[in-house]
Amino acid sequence: MTLLDFARGPALQWSLIILVAGIVWRVLGAILLSTRKDLSTPRRKSGLKDGMGTIASRSLPASAFEKRIRFQHITGYAWHLALFVTVLFFGPHILFFESILGFGWPNLPNGVVLFAGAIALAILIALLIRRATNPVQKLISNADDYISVIIVMLPLLTGIIAFAHIGARYETLLAIHLLSIEAMFIWFPFGKLMHTAMTFPSRFQAGTSFGRRGIKA
Amino acid sequence: MNTPSQAFTEFQVSLAQLGQNTATDDWSDDQRMERARHTFMSRLDRRAAVDMDTCIHCGMCAEACHFYVATQEERFTPAYKIDPLRRFYRREVSPMRLFNRLFTRKLDADDLREWSELVFEACTGCGRCDMMCPMGINISDNINIMREGLAAAGLVPGELRELQDEQREKNTLFGVGADELRSVASKLAEQGTQLPLDKVSADVLLLTTAVEIRLFPEAIAACAKIMQKSGADWTISTEAFEASNLGLISGDKASRRSAISRIADKAKSCGASTVVVPESGHAYQALRWESANELGEALPFEVLAISEYVARALKDGKLSLKPASDLGSVTYHDPCRLSRQGGVFAEPREVLQVMGLDVRETDSNRRENLCCGGGCGEYAISRSARIRQQAFDLKRHELDDTQADAVVTGCNNCRINLMIGAEKSGWDMPVISLVETVAGNLAE
Repeated sequence: MTLLDFARGPALQWSLIILVAGIVWRVLGAILLSTRKDLSTPRRKSGLKDGMGTIASRSLPASAFEKRIRFQHITGYAWHLALFVTVLFFGPHILFFESILGFGWPNLPNGVVLFAGAIALAILIALLIRRATNPVQKLISNADDYISVIIVMLPLLTGIIAFAHIGARYETLLAIHLLSIEAMFIWFPFGKLMHTAMTFPSRFQAGTSFGRRGIKA
Repeated sequence: MNTPSQAFTEFQVSLAQLGQNTATDDWSDDQRMERARHTFMSRLDRRAAVDMDTCIHCGMCAEACHFYVATQEERFTPAYKIDPLRRFYRREVSPMRLFNRLFTRKLDADDLREWSELVFEACTGCGRCDMMCPMGINISDNINIMREGLAAAGLVPGELRELQDEQREKNTLFGVGADELRSVASKLAEQGTQLPLDKVSADVLLLTTAVEIRLFPEAIAACAKIMQKSGADWTISTEAFEASNLGLISGDKASRRSAISRIADKAKSCGASTVVVPESGHAYQALRWESANELGEALPFEVLAISEYVARALKDGKLSLKPASDLGSVTYHDPCRLSRQGGVFAEPREVLQVMGLDVRETDSNRRENLCCGGGCGEYAISRSARIRQQAFDLKRHELDDTQADAVVTGCNNCRINLMIGAEKSGWDMPVISLVETVAGNLAE
């Protein structure tokens, strides 16, 4: 079995199993905990609308606070956008998804995707430097904060190297790229990459609990 | 000009003396940890677990905290203030706890001591960070859990501990009890305002606070005039007049519950359909949003802030106001626990507008309003005086920028803190009470 066979075969399977099982385990572990029913009389009925409203509103600029958090907001938006472009609109990625899903979609020119990948990587490097130097972030950071950023940087880095065919045979570079993604899958449920799944219930519950008190969260 | 009255000066002397003779618990570190652990375990429910699992340590919450913004001290970052709870969750509750234990340091009694300062002295529980968090984490709820754990471990600052114990054991605060209320009632009667104390049955149970009795008897008179004018069948109880709830602030469950029970029992026994909370943000939170949960049952009466009562009476035609002649423009300071955490935003503004006032908003307002810096009992803690004054300066600049004639607020705590800040810095914007402004402009 070549390294590429391993990366495409058992490594991919097992990392996906760990990813899915881990996410389910961690989400259920939190969601299934009991919570007391709020017995106070609500100011108004709250529910889906408040929850979904907060899911949406916390992605928008934060009015009075915005000027103080502009850097994080802009880098946050740019990073996620660049990541989605890189993952979803690179031709070979779409072929890979097509082999699993049975359908594909139009790709963006390689130059655009490469640019997005480079931007995503540059932002992560900037955020990592900020985390290590900004007094607030430095103080509140733990190992997970650094590991999670680095483990997301690796697929971007190995992807760019594979695209540019630098340093080794393409098959080897591709295998390394796949393995870096699989390492990220394995780490995902253990660290803060889980915010991908947890952000929505968290925002939703903020929306409903403030909503019943008549506060738009 | 905010000239300090003699009563205000005496009150500040009382504040300075707080905490000198506070009871302490003779517990070992292990006992303290065990008590905190028990509380954390019982309070880390689904809501808190989702919060704990969602934080990405972005640090944006720091920018919402008046103490961080004013001082730039990173320890005041809200996410850091709840870090021990998160560590506890990761090691003891999380579905990944076995893995997390390899990387997460165990909580110890020294951590609890250190965080007692951060959670009590450097946090007013204002909840502004709740509105900023991009993940929707309810940080102030988790601060409350921290306070409860610290209270269980006997690590509440002496000032709050003394007040909390006094309220629970003697049913007084700052030495103010039934006798002092009677004395104020007779003084107000001499001035023509009657307080119908201890009626056997009444439709409205009006509360007041020790702080009003000592410092702002005009606010009590104002509430009384509003009650009379609106034609309410009302009473004040000498046994259960105190709206403040020190247990809510300190995190002590027994104190919180006893203060709530006293009022709920009185409201039930006199058949009140409405309990009216005076100008006190945390008292509103305790009674409006916490009381049913604390007592484990829906309550047979409605809880209204006095501003809600006035707005409703105006709407129902039971009360009418004339234009305020001595004021032109005002800015309204939203008390955190009344507005951002309580939902009372519109009513105070409506009432001010009915009096023809030009209501000017501060740069941050309503759900994003800056805390006065000393809310929710914080002004009683002497060790936090420095950062409180720095936070007050932030608030003061926003208030000054409105160029309003006065700042109106609906909370005694905010009022006191703004007055203390004004006295220390020579600030001269008048700080006035909403209810007193209303009572001064009741139409015949």
